[in-house]
Amino acid sequence: MVAPTETLTCQDDLTLENLLQTPEGQRIMSCIQCGMCAGTCPYGEHMNYPPRQIINMLRSGLLEEVYQSDSLLNCVACYACLAKCPRKIRLTEVLLPLVKEQMFEKLPEVPKELQSALQNTLRYGNPMGLSPLKRTDWIKSLGLPVRVLQKDPKPVDVLWFVECQTSYYPRGQENSRAVVRLMAALGIDFAILGNEERCAGECARLVGEAGLFDTLRERNIGVFRKYRFNRVVTSGAHAFDAFKYLYPSFGFDYPLDHTTTFFADHLNELKPKLARKLDYRVTYHDSCCLGRHNGFYEEPRALVNAIPGVKLVEMVHNRVNAICCGGGGGGMWLDTYYKSKGMERLSDRRVQEAVATGADVLAVSCPYEISRFEDALKTLGYEKKMIVRDVVELLAESLRE
Amino acid sequence: MTNKEPIRIGFYICHCGTNIAGTVDVETVARYVATLPGVAVSRDYKYMCSDPGQELILRDIQEHTLNRVVVASCSPLLHEQTFRNAIQKAGLNPFYFQMVNVREHNSWVHTDRLEATQKAMALARAAVQRVPHHKPLEVKKVPVQPGVLVLGGGIAGIHAALTLAGGGQKVYLLEREATIGGHMAKFDKTFPTLDCAACILTPKMSAVRASSNITLWTYSEVVKVDGYVGNYKVTVRRKPRYVIEDLCTGCRECVDACVYRDAKFSDEFNLGLGKRKPIYMPFPQAVPPVVVIDPQTCIELKTGKCKKTCLEACGDRHAIDFQQKEEIVEITVGTIIVATGFKIFDARRTPYYGYGVYPNVYNALEVERLVNASGPTGGEIVMRNGQVPKRVAIVHCVGSRDENTNRWCSRVCCLYSLKLAHLIHEHTRAEIYNFYIDMRTPGKSMEEFYTRIASEGMHLIRGKVADVYPDPSDGAQGRLIVQAEDTLLGRIVKTPVDMVVLAVALEPQPDAQDVRRMFNMSCGAEGFFLERHPKLAPVNTFTDGIFLAGCCQGPKDIPDTVAQAGAAAAEAYALSCRGHIEQEPNTASVLDDCSGCKSCIPLCPYTAISFDADRKKAVINEALCKGCGTCVASCPSGSIKQNLFEDEEIFSEIEGVLAC
Repeated sequence: MVAPTETLTCQDDLTLENLLQTPEGQRIMSCIQCGMCAGTCPYGEHMNYPPRQIINMLRSGLLEEVYQSDSLLNCVACYACLAKCPRKIRLTEVLLPLVKEQMFEKLPEVPKELQSALQNTLRYGNPMGLSPLKRTDWIKSLGLPVRVLQKDPKPVDVLWFVECQTSYYPRGQENSRAVVRLMAALGIDFAILGNEERCAGECARLVGEAGLFDTLRERNIGVFRKYRFNRVVTSGAHAFDAFKYLYPSFGFDYPLDHTTTFFADHLNELKPKLARKLDYRVTYHDSCCLGRHNGFYEEPRALVNAIPGVKLVEMVHNRVNAICCGGGGGGMWLDTYYKSKGMERLSDRRVQEAVATGADVLAVSCPYEISRFEDALKTLGYEKKMIVRDVVELLAESLRE
Repeated sequence: MTNKEPIRIGFYICHCGTNIAGTVDVETVARYVATLPGVAVSRDYKYMCSDPGQELILRDIQEHTLNRVVVASCSPLLHEQTFRNAIQKAGLNPFYFQMVNVREHNSWVHTDRLEATQKAMALARAAVQRVPHHKPLEVKKVPVQPGVLVLGGGIAGIHAALTLAGGGQKVYLLEREATIGGHMAKFDKTFPTLDCAACILTPKMSAVRASSNITLWTYSEVVKVDGYVGNYKVTVRRKPRYVIEDLCTGCRECVDACVYRDAKFSDEFNLGLGKRKPIYMPFPQAVPPVVVIDPQTCIELKTGKCKKTCLEACGDRHAIDFQQKEEIVEITVGTIIVATGFKIFDARRTPYYGYGVYPNVYNALEVERLVNASGPTGGEIVMRNGQVPKRVAIVHCVGSRDENTNRWCSRVCCLYSLKLAHLIHEHTRAEIYNFYIDMRTPGKSMEEFYTRIASEGMHLIRGKVADVYPDPSDGAQGRLIVQAEDTLLGRIVKTPVDMVVLAVALEPQPDAQDVRRMFNMSCGAEGFFLERHPKLAPVNTFTDGIFLAGCCQGPKDIPDTVAQAGAAAAEAYALSCRGHIEQEPNTASVLDDCSGCKSCIPLCPYTAISFDADRKKAVINEALCKGCGTCVASCPSGSIKQNLFEDEEIFSEIEGVLAC
């Protein structure tokens, strides 16, 4: 198996000017121009300047030309180039965001959906533009208690960072309700930040909006500092990455889990409680952040396999080779833009592989994927053939009532 | 004793052209050392190792009645012996000498001239303070036993064994498999000449069998090595093959008679692409030409309830012996050649190439067998789905040049890929697509070979393959898409093919670390056995009398393997012919006040220390001791001393280096 990438945190003070003098720059200088990055990129064929060319332009001092192109708007931050690079160049983490930042400044026009998502995130702390005061509305219909630290600030074991999709979108809220039921079943002492929580900002950083990301990070870390807790667990695969790679240089030093890895760690306690047989044939889609970027390939599969009755089947592209849903790096808000360029939606490409397995459930572990895949299934007319479920939703469904 | 004479030291610092003098102010060092007590002469000279340089020392010893010499120059590894010889010529004991390394340890690693000069002075001062305590020592001679062990029966081991045997040396050739031949026996043709591998290998295999000087033990492994250069005691395990080698004629009537009418077990020689019976001959030209019984699949060996039709077929020859047990044999040899070869990269470690998932993805060695007339398909390239491929992709650098798997270039893959491109095309007329990163074809006639194959009309695509997956439009017919960036066109290509060939890397054997420990060798970071010097001692190891040949030292092609095997044979032969070795007298010895606590015994990496039960004291075997000093440092009562590293020598040296 390909080893997960080194868990290096990103340095904030890297710029395109000083990059080549850093250890990461030395790696870039060692690039052998093999084209693995471009070949594995899901949108590689739509880029005038795929990653290999960007490295070449950087080394030749011709990077300015790259800014004039929209190549990197097509980067969905899926970590495929980083995971397979034979020189271990941290493209998705370091070089591409820096180039995107410059490109973003020079773009004649930011695609509308993306623009409003970024503006909303700045104003309201979530890309949907919904009121921060409504962030905890999903709890009301739940029927189980959820402690909100703002109201009840005493120390807690697990601080659960819910994230935006899972707070606001109806289908995301189902994911959150499932998390609560599992936490309750395991007797975990947990609490959420409630209306004080803001988007973790990973997409803003990876689309090239470093300023917006800095604002969000500062704000969230300020809120973290107000409370006492032992660990952070988040439902957001992208939030997980933000906390793991982008927050530590700003003082984030809490033990960290994604809900998937958290429940995988508690699998022994959880297993006896998974009593309801689910007669599903499931295929699991590796989230880019959890899979390629962090090497969590087996944990979500172990959870799915622990559910009685479930049969797990694999897609052609799985684990390190999984195809991105297309939602990362701002891709979530670029579907219209991609369509205008005649590009296939990656979520469409992915669900076709999922349907080809004969599975009836597409299991996911990143909140973006639910809406993207459900939409793709509908567009392609597969909505009767296959449903999309987060791994935690499947677990909760199997819980003894 | 010379201790009573006044100490008269000659000091010499070498310019080494500008290697030293460019960074160290050698004149200043020489002037400084002249002021130190005991120094009678202090000079700098352009090349101390040159004949005039050595003459200078010789003359000074005589004219100035010197009785100690210090030379500050390069590493003692290179010229310590040169200077010891020089002062011996002048009538001094060669161990009244100390060498100071002001090149590798100083001028080559520093840039500040002032600081480098001060460091040279400190190092020189240390030597000048140490050398008066040196004692006259004698080089001991240890006899070299006749006989060479060659470990591994691939082309490297075969060539080394034949070379030595040709010179009249007694050779034990050990092979772990049932036949010699190694990887080369599996190849179809060899680059760049495209001559048949078997046609050039099998005569050498037969010669091994015919040679009266070679004892060939196949199906055998080394379990233990004791002793030292000139006198190695090697314990060998001879695994039972359940066939008496001397009685088996290789007629294979037993194979035909086996109760299994059809061959149904995976055939190792053909990498599982063909089938064999429980009793089998690995391949038609196997040496020894003797069958072997696999205890995992033979009914008689598993249950004792077989009709034993093989035994019947063997008849009066009585070659089959189900009672055969493993045999442990000890042999004594003077030198050892390690030629244990390589293993191919397991392509499942690069999951995006689909090896082990899609049946039409093969590794290159499997394709060698498919192309070969004695292979599982009789030389027809028929894939697992029974079809002959019309389009074939060859993927270079699978497990090579990649930080995620192996960092090194495996050196032979570009060339064997070109060869396979030619052979597959010749057999099938298929379109061939070679996906490469850089086409590396160094060596005599190799670029010409590349030109020849390229001109045959192969598709050469510069780009590392990123993905191999089933063609979604193909409806499970087995067609695959090979996806890569054609970096010269700047386009993503998705090439539909019927067959994918992975040019897999060469890796160290999985048990290389065990072999390394057993023979007390070193490995480089990548796990191949380490040669003593990358340029000047390429077949020597850090253990005297143990030599390397072939791919166990690093990936190489057949010509280089054979050349290296010849070199290793020559090194072993030279030791053998001389009949003795001279041993550096830097050995340790146990003093009378040893308390017999035995704590030093398990620490010795060379198992040189034993316990004398009568005297209740530790004893060090001088022939085994390598002078590492571990026992000296560990002895709780300070009862072990080591020549050239006695306490007063070391303390004076430390005082010297620290004094200002």
